Amino acid sequence: MIEFLSKKLDWIDVEYWFYILNDLSLVYIIVPFFILELVRYAYLKKLNKNLILDSVANLITFGAFFLIEIILGLLAITKAYFWIYNNISLPHLELNWITIITCILLADFAYYWEHRMMHRIGIGWATHTVHHSSPHFNMSVAYRFGPLDAIMPILFSLPIVMLGYDPILVLLSEVFVQVFQTLLHTEIIGKLIKPVEYIFNTPSHHRVHHGSNRQYWDKNYAGILIIWDRMFSTFEPEVEKVRYGISEPLNSNNPIKVFFHGISRLIRKLKKVNGFKNKLLVFIKPPDWMPTNK
Amino acid sequence: MKDSTLLFRSLATIVFIVGIAHLASYASQKDDINYNYQESIDSNQKSVFPEDGKSKSNNNPETDYIIGKWKVNYNIEDFNGSVFYNIKKEGKYFNAYTYQYQDKNGNTEKAEGLKTLIIKSFDGYQGKGVYTIEYEQQQYQVDCQIDMVDENTFKLSYDYYGYSDVESWKRQ
Ligand SMILES: [Zn+2]
Ligand SMILES: [Zn+2]
Repeated sequence: MIEFLSKKLDWIDVEYWFYILNDLSLVYIIVPFFILELVRYAYLKKLNKNLILDSVANLITFGAFFLIEIILGLLAITKAYFWIYNNISLPHLELNWITIITCILLADFAYYWEHRMMHRIGIGWATHTVHHSSPHFNMSVAYRFGPLDAIMPILFSLPIVMLGYDPILVLLSEVFVQVFQTLLHTEIIGKLIKPVEYIFNTPSHHRVHHGSNRQYWDKNYAGILIIWDRMFSTFEPEVEKVRYGISEPLNSNNPIKVFFHGISRLIRKLKKVNGFKNKLLVFIKPPDWMPTNK
Repeated sequence: MKDSTLLFRSLATIVFIVGIAHLASYASQKDDINYNYQESIDSNQKSVFPEDGKSKSNNNPETDYIIGKWKVNYNIEDFNGSVFYNIKKEGKYFNAYTYQYQDKNGNTEKAEGLKTLIIKSFDGYQGKGVYTIEYEQQQYQVDCQIDMVDENTFKLSYDYYGYSDVESWKRQ
């Protein structure tokens, strides 16, 4: 077993497996599943204009996010990642199953913290609120991204590169976590069997994460493993029916408004707050923070 | 939960996961020593590769773009600077010859044209070959792997006696 896990692998094979899991899954799971969701909405007579426009806006925000990601990718990932890998890193790890599995675990762990940070600091929420602003919950919502959503992951994955993991492997692992996360955005699947719900993040757990019900705020940040939330006491099970969205609803399907509403709300708050120090604190304090002695 | 508990649990998690990975990597490299040693003797003996450089008919634009001048930065104990290589197609193989050294202050010196890298297979994205490394005045020929990052950058990675490295080759 150990021998198998530590047997050297070829890059070309590893990239191929990730291609099947990360890229092709769009064709064989995500799109068919979304069609199934649309059929269900139609059956429940919920397939209305608002839902369609919401889905379209979701895809447009993804396009914008993807564009930013590509520009950043060319600048940061190939340069900074490889520089760090070659200059300030632990001994480089061999490419084997243990390296791949631990890399995915670390990427998942990083995802937990990066996601928690996106919720708990002002600038993070300004971009991540986009993902939470839909009143619906389906596969297309998974593609609803904010303008700065690509930046935090870089901050959190550079340390993984420093630990000796190949930058390309780190990147592929991050996409893998993201694809797993995508599959959780559905109302079709109820609760799964106990052991699965205990270890893994599931649609039920992620519905809670998207809830605007007070007890569901800032809970279940996980990517693949829900045990991170259990470990760091941010876990909340799905009990009450989830009301999707954010506490201050957006009420718009205009893709531009959707994409930038977090940033414009942040700017409005900055204008309201007095003093340079307080303005600075708006960026790093939790989104509901307000200076006390105003 | 207290911040210190969060931090402690996070660090413990990271140490645990990364520890497993490095232990496994270290253990399997130890096993590889004998294997690599055999291999290196093997490639030393046949280090004279067929030089049928005259047959220029086998052009393939999908792989031939690797031909040209490349630069690699090194920052190791006995050399801090750059080496410039010229990759040529010779028969079935692509060979890289050194043609210039540059130290960190920008002073250049002509190189002796050593054949340092032999790329034996290359599909336009990835390739395999033999790379000559020098360690304590001794030259070793080690198996290496090539992965294109973009058309102007590729990674050359090798692993020898548990000594592994990844070089970043940049087009000039
Ligand atoms: Zn979130
Ligand atoms: Zn989500």
